[in-house]
Amino acid sequence: MGTRKKRRKWLQAYKQAPWRNQMQFIGLFLLIVVFVALIAGVYLNVTARAATLGRQILVMREEMRELERHNADLETQLAYLTSVESMSNRAEELGYVAALPERVVYVYVPGYVGRRTAELAPAPGPVAASQTPLSAEFTQSLTDWLGDFFKRNLMTPGLTGGSHP
Amino acid sequence: MMNNPGWRFTILGVVFASLGVVIIGQLVRIQILPQADQILAQSSQYAGVVRTITPPRGQIFDRWGSLLAGNKTVYEVGVELEHVTNPETIALALSVIIGLDYDHVLSLASQPYSEDAVYARLADFVSAEQVAQLQSYTQQLDSYQESVSDQKPPSLSGLVFTPHLERSYPEGDLASNVLGFVSQDGIGYFGIEGKYDDLLMGDSVNLWVPEDPNLVEDFPDVPIGVDLILTIDRELQADVEEILDVALEDTGAIAGTVVVMDPQTGEIYAMVSAPRIDLNEYWRFYEVFPEATQFNRPVSRPYEPGSVFKVLTMAAALDAGAVEPDTEFLDTGIFEIGGVYLRNWNQEAWGPQDMVGCLQHSLNVCLAWVATELGPKNFYEYMLKFGIGHTTGVDLDGEITGFMRLPGDPEWHISDLGTNAFGQGVSANVVQMLMAISAVANDGQMVTPRLLRAVVRNGFQYEVQTQISGTPISAETAHILTQMLAVSLENETPRALVDGYRLAGKTGTADIPTESGYSSSATNASFVGWGPVDDPQFLVYVWLEKPVIAPWGSVVAAPVFREVVERLVIRMDLPPDELRLGMLGN
Repeated sequence: MGTRKKRRKWLQAYKQAPWRNQMQFIGLFLLIVVFVALIAGVYLNVTARAATLGRQILVMREEMRELERHNADLETQLAYLTSVESMSNRAEELGYVAALPERVVYVYVPGYVGRRTAELAPAPGPVAASQTPLSAEFTQSLTDWLGDFFKRNLMTPGLTGGSHP
Repeated sequence: MMNNPGWRFTILGVVFASLGVVIIGQLVRIQILPQADQILAQSSQYAGVVRTITPPRGQIFDRWGSLLAGNKTVYEVGVELEHVTNPETIALALSVIIGLDYDHVLSLASQPYSEDAVYARLADFVSAEQVAQLQSYTQQLDSYQESVSDQKPPSLSGLVFTPHLERSYPEGDLASNVLGFVSQDGIGYFGIEGKYDDLLMGDSVNLWVPEDPNLVEDFPDVPIGVDLILTIDRELQADVEEILDVALEDTGAIAGTVVVMDPQTGEIYAMVSAPRIDLNEYWRFYEVFPEATQFNRPVSRPYEPGSVFKVLTMAAALDAGAVEPDTEFLDTGIFEIGGVYLRNWNQEAWGPQDMVGCLQHSLNVCLAWVATELGPKNFYEYMLKFGIGHTTGVDLDGEITGFMRLPGDPEWHISDLGTNAFGQGVSANVVQMLMAISAVANDGQMVTPRLLRAVVRNGFQYEVQTQISGTPISAETAHILTQMLAVSLENETPRALVDGYRLAGKTGTADIPTESGYSSSATNASFVGWGPVDDPQFLVYVWLEKPVIAPWGSVVAAPVFREVVERLVIRMDLPPDELRLGMLGN
């Protein structure tokens, strides 16, 4: 009995006050809530930005298609305006007449190669080997470097038995 | 207990925890429900849409980069039934502006909106101008609607316009026979459009387009159609079309063909066929061409060419050594072969002739004799080497080869050798004849005629190379024959000559075969010529069908050749021989 009293005494001496326990529990709970909210906020933010960008890409794709159509329209309109018939009519209105053989004068122009046929795009050139501006030190792995090092320094002709001049 | 505030938190915690458990439980339940697959399928319907992406059709340019076939925006006009307030106005507007049937549009636009009836297509391929007019009316009616209190005011609400591209031909009927056309379902027919339909069309792709914008990066780029650069010279084509149209009017011919080719590369500068249609109104096709082969006559209408074929007979005989330019022949005006008697075009005897004289006077009797000197085996071997009886491989849709009976065929008779020698009883299309004769104009080498100069794909331009399709005769034979034909032209066909330029050529007048034998009243008049003789830069073939004013090629076709050459030497910057040789000397 005496021991029990002693223990209770001891417990009472070190037990937290109930309100303190609750505050700790609430604090911990709020901490978790804040942490989860933070993560959710960051996730939401990133997702929302990605979604907005994705939507923008879709809109821009549509705009691109619209511009392609517009471009095709303009090219065709230009072709109508510069068709043989329109150009002939315009030339006539401006007082030009068709060139007749007897009225044509030929002049020799050194170096003139004549009218060039259409080049709407460059010719496919030879495939250039990929070149990196970085020196080997920045791209080699340690194993590659060691391999190279041994090849350069240790496997000399003298060591490998190569012929000497 | 009531004094302890902790119970409130406990209850709150239990409630929230229970809610969480219920939500998680429901999530799990949905996954394992028997209807789970059905729900999943339903949800996938809203996850995205399957869309067919059709890339813009590739454009077609002439050799100088002028656009011959492009694309323009047209619209599909439809109604979103949910938003239609006044179908009568829609029907009226579309019947007035687009010309649609009022009742038909009214019935479509009056459908009640439901899950099964969301959208109704009213018209397609509506021009941008018509759509602009409709949009303007829509705006006007919207503003009118706000100002009146009518219960059912006029409105075009619900009308939607979906743009897409349609083929357009800025030059109208220019080179229409070469280009072909594209129908509204996007398929190319005839000419270049038909031949290179796959290349021009690109690859239509069915894509699943997600509604989730986070998945947008999965959307692939669709490769566009390939652009084509032709060998055609737009201005020269226009010149030749004009010349041919005038010639048809002057001669009364029912149809005509002129082709201009570079004999060294096979590039066709102009290919004209008359009549033609405006490709922007391709639906008139059957009105103008009762037979599809009439659309592009140079490749689709084989015919018996007549005396222009003598060029090939003489080339074969010279090359085989059967005759030489000065070989003598006594023309009696009649030649018997296999029991058949062959006569000259004027039924007369021309007396002693050399081979130049035979070509100059276009003597059937002489050429039939030359063929017999050559022998049937050699003759037909040479003709096969010239590509007669086979397609040329020209890059145009719808090439139809002619026919040539060969020894061993059940229908072949020895008399065929005699008639074939002067181009009767054998048929070929104009492009076949050009290819064969290119050997004479190009040092013995025969080139494959082509319309494609280059292909533009993925930002690069790929040039098409010249293709030699054979060497039926030697260069020496080619030079000798060219000289012989130049002399015969100078002496016999002044209508074909062009001042300042030495040309070689041959006329042709052929009777037209009918079911009851050869027609005596109608002919095919032809002319083939090339120049300058020392370095041929062009090869021109003219064919007029059933000319009325005169049956002879020398009278009706030769002047067309001359006019074409007069124009093309200017277009090609080709000075007269004397000047050109002087410049070369510099």
